[in-house]
Amino acid sequence: MTTSKLPKDPYSIVITGVGGQGNVMASRVLANMLVKKGYYVTIGETFGASQRGGSVMSHIRVSNLSAWSPQIPAGKAHLVVALEPIEAIRVLARYGNPDIKVLSNLRPIYPAGVIAGEASYPNEQEIRTILEKHTSKYWLIKATEEAVKLGNPILANVMMVGATCAIGDLPFDRNDFIDAMSQVLSGDKMETNIKAFELGFSLLMK
Amino acid sequence: MEEKKLTRGQQEVREKVISLGLCTGCGACINLCPYFRSHRGKTSILFPCTVENGRCFAFCPKIEVDLDNLSLSIFDQPYDGNALGRYRSIFTAKAGEKIKSFEAQAGGTVSSLVYYALTKGYISGAVLTDRRGLEPIPRYVTNAEDVFSCSQSKYTAAPTLAVVNEVVEKGEVNIGVVGTPCQILALAQMKTREKPYPISLSIGLFCTWAIDFRLFEPFISRWIQASHIRKVDIPPPPAEILQIFTSQGEKIEIPLSEIRPLVPKGCAYCMDMTSEFSDISVGVLEGRPDMNTLIVRTERGQKLVDEAIKEGYLIVSDMPKENLEHLLWAAGNKKQRALKRASDENLINCESLSYLRLKGELLNQLTQ
Amino acid sequence: MSHLLDPKAGATYLLMGNEAIVRGALEAGVNVASGYPGTPSSEIIENLSRIAKERNIYVEWSVNEKVALEVAAAASFAGLRSLCAMKQNGVNVASDFLLHLVYSGTRGGIVLVSCDDPGALSSVNEGESRYFARQLEMPLLEPGNFQEAKDMTKWAFELSEQLKQIVMLRSVTRMSHASGNVSYGALPETKRKAEFKFKGFILDPEEGIITSAPVEWRHKEQQDKIRKAKEIFEESPFNTYEGPDKPELLIITSSACYLYSKEAVEVLNVQDRVGILKLGTTWPLPPKLVTHYLARTEQVMIVEEVIPFMEENVKVLAAEKAGEIGAKKFFGKNEGVLPSVGEMNPDFVISAISSILGIDYSPVSKEYDQSAKLSAFVHAPARDQVFCPGCPHRASFFAIRRAIELDGRNGFVCGDIGCYTMAVRPTGFETLKTVHSMGSGMGLASGFGKLGLFGMDQPTFAVCGDSTFYHAVIPALINAVHNKSNVTLVILDNGGTAMTGFQPHPGQDFNVMGESMPAIDMARICEAIGARVEKRNPLDLEDTLHTLLEMMEDKNGVKVLILSQYCALSPQRRGKKDYELSVDETVCLGEECGCGRFCTRIFRCPGLVWNKEKAKAEIDQVICVGCGVCADICPRGAIKRKEVA
Ligand SMILES: Cc1cc2nc3c(=O)[nH]c(=O)nc-3n(C[C@H](O)[C@H](O)[C@H](O)COP(=O)(O)OP(=O)(O)OC[C@H]3O[C@@H](n4cnc5c(N)ncnc54)[C@H](O)[C@@H]3O)c2cc1C
Ligand code: SF4
Ligand code: SF4
Ligand code: SF4
Ligand code: SF4
Repeated sequence: MTTSKLPKDPYSIVITGVGGQGNVMASRVLANMLVKKGYYVTIGETFGASQRGGSVMSHIRVSNLSAWSPQIPAGKAHLVVALEPIEAIRVLARYGNPDIKVLSNLRPIYPAGVIAGEASYPNEQEIRTILEKHTSKYWLIKATEEAVKLGNPILANVMMVGATCAIGDLPFDRNDFIDAMSQVLSGDKMETNIKAFELGFSLLMK
Repeated sequence: MEEKKLTRGQQEVREKVISLGLCTGCGACINLCPYFRSHRGKTSILFPCTVENGRCFAFCPKIEVDLDNLSLSIFDQPYDGNALGRYRSIFTAKAGEKIKSFEAQAGGTVSSLVYYALTKGYISGAVLTDRRGLEPIPRYVTNAEDVFSCSQSKYTAAPTLAVVNEVVEKGEVNIGVVGTPCQILALAQMKTREKPYPISLSIGLFCTWAIDFRLFEPFISRWIQASHIRKVDIPPPPAEILQIFTSQGEKIEIPLSEIRPLVPKGCAYCMDMTSEFSDISVGVLEGRPDMNTLIVRTERGQKLVDEAIKEGYLIVSDMPKENLEHLLWAAGNKKQRALKRASDENLINCESLSYLRLKGELLNQLTQ
Repeated sequence: MSHLLDPKAGATYLLMGNEAIVRGALEAGVNVASGYPGTPSSEIIENLSRIAKERNIYVEWSVNEKVALEVAAAASFAGLRSLCAMKQNGVNVASDFLLHLVYSGTRGGIVLVSCDDPGALSSVNEGESRYFARQLEMPLLEPGNFQEAKDMTKWAFELSEQLKQIVMLRSVTRMSHASGNVSYGALPETKRKAEFKFKGFILDPEEGIITSAPVEWRHKEQQDKIRKAKEIFEESPFNTYEGPDKPELLIITSSACYLYSKEAVEVLNVQDRVGILKLGTTWPLPPKLVTHYLARTEQVMIVEEVIPFMEENVKVLAAEKAGEIGAKKFFGKNEGVLPSVGEMNPDFVISAISSILGIDYSPVSKEYDQSAKLSAFVHAPARDQVFCPGCPHRASFFAIRRAIELDGRNGFVCGDIGCYTMAVRPTGFETLKTVHSMGSGMGLASGFGKLGLFGMDQPTFAVCGDSTFYHAVIPALINAVHNKSNVTLVILDNGGTAMTGFQPHPGQDFNVMGESMPAIDMARICEAIGARVEKRNPLDLEDTLHTLLEMMEDKNGVKVLILSQYCALSPQRRGKKDYELSVDETVCLGEECGCGRFCTRIFRCPGLVWNKEKAKAEIDQVICVGCGVCADICPRGAIKRKEVA
């Protein structure tokens, strides 16, 4: 399934979500796999808000040639991986273009203003319409629900990595994932993570 | 009558009552929700509320008080502007021989009636007002003996109705309440809501004005430590003094001219001296500091008083004519002053929210 | 083994900028490292602490940045190599000592790492530390990519030893917190022995005493060092040029802006028209090198973040050399081509180059752009930063705010820096009315508390965190007590430096290396200073409220209320639910009078959500951490909590 060449060089990914969703970890895992394969990878992160319910975004630049800026220029992202659906919409406003692909978790995390009744949150159909209109391809998956079934909602992030693998734009596979994770995890944790990865992969294949 | 119920919410209370300084801290809006709370005699709004039709607004005796509506719902008759309100009979009164001796403010009529109603089971509990130092502390009393520990007037404005809301919320029924005229007015508003409050007896006190606790406490501390106060009294005119009796048996006298600046602004707009919407109202009998004036207004009140007399809990006699005349004069005077002031400040019968509503010609007549 | 300790030269890892700095320090054989936590610098000391034992390094989180720098300087004076890390405003704190240090000079290599935060991504300022280099006359280095972050750090130690002067290495958030490939050098064996020599000739830099006096002598020596640095910098491999021989436009840049400039040139495809001179040694500028490139162009744009520091320096040089190289046309902040506030990014550079070269550039069609922006505007409501689910600060400010309203005298709270700064926002019930630097809430309160003389009767509070207390509040508290200021200090003690990731502070009985240490008891400090001290658990809302109300009535000087409860993300609480929460729909009042959605509209813990269809509140079981506080705020008791066994 996976290719060893990049569809674009640099290939630019935005991983987005809300503080506490394990966004930073997802971008690390992804980047580590690619560095192992010999690519230049730059990750740009904002994690000031990472613990406090703010929008969190990582920019990943993958290249055969050199290190790229930790910020993607406007309109130049190729893939958005969103752990929360309206974060995908937010990212499109700045980094989107008609060729972009979006992979998003469906589970909403309501902004404080929505909870307080000062703002409204789009329903699934509205989200689909927006993604349909502004992407070349999009996938919405129920990662958090599946992760809860696996025992921990945070695993949604690993599931998104698995699903990203299934998209096939990036040259990594299940073995690369195991290889990268085995440096940081052990035992049962490793097992559940592999399960989450596989589940994410299969969610996209359906 | 319908459209007057539950018309507005917190924002209006804030703007038209609290910000204008009309609030007397009666407590009618307290303990209904997390937004209003009373602390050291003052009503505060903690956070903004967006409910459009709220009980704070519906209960508050300083906003959209429609006197005809209230009078109709309580007495089945429109408001007529009588200085003492509508009533059935008026007496002088004091505790009967069945009541053990206790320290009453005057004749002990109020405590006796509450005690009687409780022992007879006419009410299952009473909301009374105790004090800690000078701070008025409302209490829900279910044991008749505890009635006497709440006797005596606390001349500071008290959030008594906060406890009414609290116990109603808890599901208590057959509640008796003793309160000042503004509180009795709020109580009447509560009772006339769609879902009537389970208030079975309201005993109103006479009141010309109360004192702001937050101003009173530091003021009094110049003379005495609050914990040493045994009793406070304002003997009827022409004395013009506030008396403090200490636990050491001393008596301190302070001219009322020094006390008046400590009265909440809201009292100046209150046109009710005798708790006109109560079942029974009680004040001091002029010239007889050990006796009360007793006004019986409702059937329910009448029944209670009659029985209490019969069973020896209350002693009444006829009201001397000159006392009645003077009472009428004093109450009429308060009414006229308050209505005039409120009307001058455009707080009555306005198109938008008003403090009071009453018939136009009656208003003219009363403010002449 | 940590990937930072891989001894293999040539091994390549994905490192965060801060990790690259750590690896550089390791390759330089650093002996001592100190700092005070502050985003984006904290990972430097954190990572060093994790490998301190293996590498025989002494690492500490110091009580504040000034002390941290003094600790690092002591190591240098004893001939060791030391590193001191802090965020931009930390340099201000350290600057008093720094002013004297640059006069006295140093011995072992010492590097001050300052991580600036242009755009204030996680700060309440976007202060510049670069100006300290010029103002205090010390060499300044700025890495332009991750590899350089490592290489330059290593070199900074050598430079410092060569000059006998402290060297400042300045990073920014987008370097420190970004990651990229870094290829390793060798890890040396370090066997330095510490000895402070002072018996030599008084002015001997190696064996005399170390002071900033005699000032004129020392200052001249210091300036000689700067002159020497210039010469060294002329040859530095960290200054690079790419582009045509005679560019139409010369970009002079440094740090992360180098990557943005490079990207912009690529995007616009103007590699043959625009040259990029990337400087790694930004103060003092290497005059010959810079003049050399200035001479080859007519137009110069300086790309840097926030204040035009490099721009000013280049312009001075260009003016000096105008006779040789002719007058240049400059584009920068002063010309309004680039913004002088906020963070830089490739797009600013793209539009600056486009306007200078007359290029028409738009990455996507106007229709797409407008439509995507509109969708986001309508359907992606902003995420205001909020206290975490279960955060004790929410409970603390809920009590403080209510106490102030109940008191009714228009009281207010002076705050400072920490997670609790967010209490200016609705998440903290808009309780804070001033926010400045560490400890300044207490200092301001001390001042406000004396204004009774001029008729002020508003109750005044200060709040600070536990770490901040030790950092900068103690002197202000002493001031308030000594001057009989009538204020209340609330210490939000959440058991660590939560905002930056639970670095230990002097109130704790362990240090960053996990060794047990004597804890400095803040309550006893406050008592010793002469304040009345109370301690409460902020999750007990009513108890806290009543204590606050009572303290506001107490007019006898300074009161201190310590609200202790672990941060929701702390190792002690993380992942542990004390309670299982649920909302009883049959009891929940929702929008009706009596509640008005109090939990979701006012209390606003993210664990509470509003179910519009049912018009009832719900617990989001994924987000709720089970602190149980919301059960106490519901007016109906609709929120049920069940203890988790
Ligand atoms: C603020 C105030 C002003 C008053 N002004 C006048 C006046 O101008 N002219 C006049 O004739 N009488 C006035 N009174 C009434 C008078 O002081 C006596 O309360 C009344 O005569 C009853 O006497 P008693 O012996 O029957 O009372 P007691 O048997 O001693 O019982 C007193 C009752 O009053 C209640 N009470 C005490 N303080 C308060 C309070 N602040 N708010 C609500 N309830 C309270 C207690 O719960 C208790 O049940 C005033 C009372 C108050 C509280
Ligand atoms: S909840 Fe009801 S009583 Fe409370 S402030 Fe709102 S409207 Fe008033
Ligand atoms: S007068 Fe009574 S009901 Fe009205 S605001 Fe004041 S305390 Fe509340
Ligand atoms: S759970 Fe409680 S606070 Fe929340 S809406 Fe329901 S009644 Fe109100
Ligand atoms: S228990 Fe309530 S306050 Fe605590 S985290 Fe859960 S929802 Fe938030």
